[in-house]
Amino acid sequence: MAELLKLENVWAGYGEAVVLEDISFSLEAAGSLALLGRNGMGKTTLLATLMGATRLKSGRLHFDGRDLAVVGSHRRAALGLGWVPQERDIFPSLTVEENLTVVARPGPWNLERAYEMFPRLAERKANMGNQLSGGEQQMLALARALMLNPKLLLLDKPLEGLAPLIVQDLLRIIGRMVAAGDMAIILVEQHAHQILPLTKQALVLERGRVVYNGDSDNLRADRSQLDKWLGVGSH
Amino acid sequence: MKSIDIIHGEHRTLASVLQGLRFVVGEIGAKRLQADFRLLSSMVDYITQVPDKVHHPKEDDHLFPALRARSAAAASLIDALEAQHAEGYRMTVGLLQALVHYQAMGDKAFADFEATVQDYLAFSWKHLNMEEGELLPLARQELTAEDWTAIDAAFAANFDPYAGAQGEFEDLFGRIVSMTPAPYGLGAAR
Repeated sequence: MAELLKLENVWAGYGEAVVLEDISFSLEAAGSLALLGRNGMGKTTLLATLMGATRLKSGRLHFDGRDLAVVGSHRRAALGLGWVPQERDIFPSLTVEENLTVVARPGPWNLERAYEMFPRLAERKANMGNQLSGGEQQMLALARALMLNPKLLLLDKPLEGLAPLIVQDLLRIIGRMVAAGDMAIILVEQHAHQILPLTKQALVLERGRVVYNGDSDNLRADRSQLDKWLGVGSH
Repeated sequence: MKSIDIIHGEHRTLASVLQGLRFVVGEIGAKRLQADFRLLSSMVDYITQVPDKVHHPKEDDHLFPALRARSAAAASLIDALEAQHAEGYRMTVGLLQALVHYQAMGDKAFADFEATVQDYLAFSWKHLNMEEGELLPLARQELTAEDWTAIDAAFAANFDPYAGAQGEFEDLFGRIVSMTPAPYGLGAAR
């Protein structure tokens, strides 16, 4: 499988502050990576760096054979980066269907397939974005990102603040998205036990540095390291 | 040791349905929600069928025998858990009967249904806690890499905590999430 994303010795942050130090890893097309770490360790900053929302101090970012550092943040979505931020950011004054179609780009994901994956959204397609529950909004944010037909989907804490039934349903859906193999996925979550079974690769950040870069299976089998890096109860 | 993650995953999925049932029955009891018998019967169907057909066979047929063979100290715990599996199935039959009675008789049968649900929930939490707190830590400690390889292989044909071996429970789980009122599910808020 071809390499889609490669970071080499990336240092990045906000203004003068450096948050990420010497980050290197790569991800194949249709690969899946769990991005883990305690709060404040740089996970969201890493996603923001991929989207061009931080200041890159040094290092190289390659995406789909291009130097991402010279591509403006507003053009990165068009290159094939789809970001589902923690805040979801759906359009409250558009209907569910409008939210989906306004961003649609050609590719395997269309309205029919999105509704098949999220039947609840089909039932609510005429409702406005601000009439949806938190779980429905998260589903809409995910479906909207799929409609972009990205090459790489970035999911920032998609399970945060949701009830257990909805969390389990979203895990089921994300598992199907990974298995479909239409795109690569980077999944940020606090709870390793929930996402390591879904991904092939894992990257653990500690104080902005990579402390683990390898197989998800090997990491989830290593309870002492999981405890050390992510805290007791992470597995 | 993928199999132990599968067990954890199935426990979490089952627990999410149990929490949903507790929420819905509590809201009906507080008169903030009208009974939705499609939802209640879907929940009862899930907690009757999935443990019995998907989850318990993994433990009864693979994990428990392997642990018995390695640890004499595990025998009494496994005896208790096996008995709970049988008792749990018996209780789900009672739950189903109480639901049918509630549906037929209306509000006057709610108290019996609620009591049956509460008994089942208390029983299930105790059982899940014994497995999470006692059984799985003991299994991690006592079983060898060879044991885990054999158990992982046995689980490989039946690993999805939502769907079952043939995918038969995935729609059921999705319907439960869709019908359970927000914020616990995706249904209309009360």
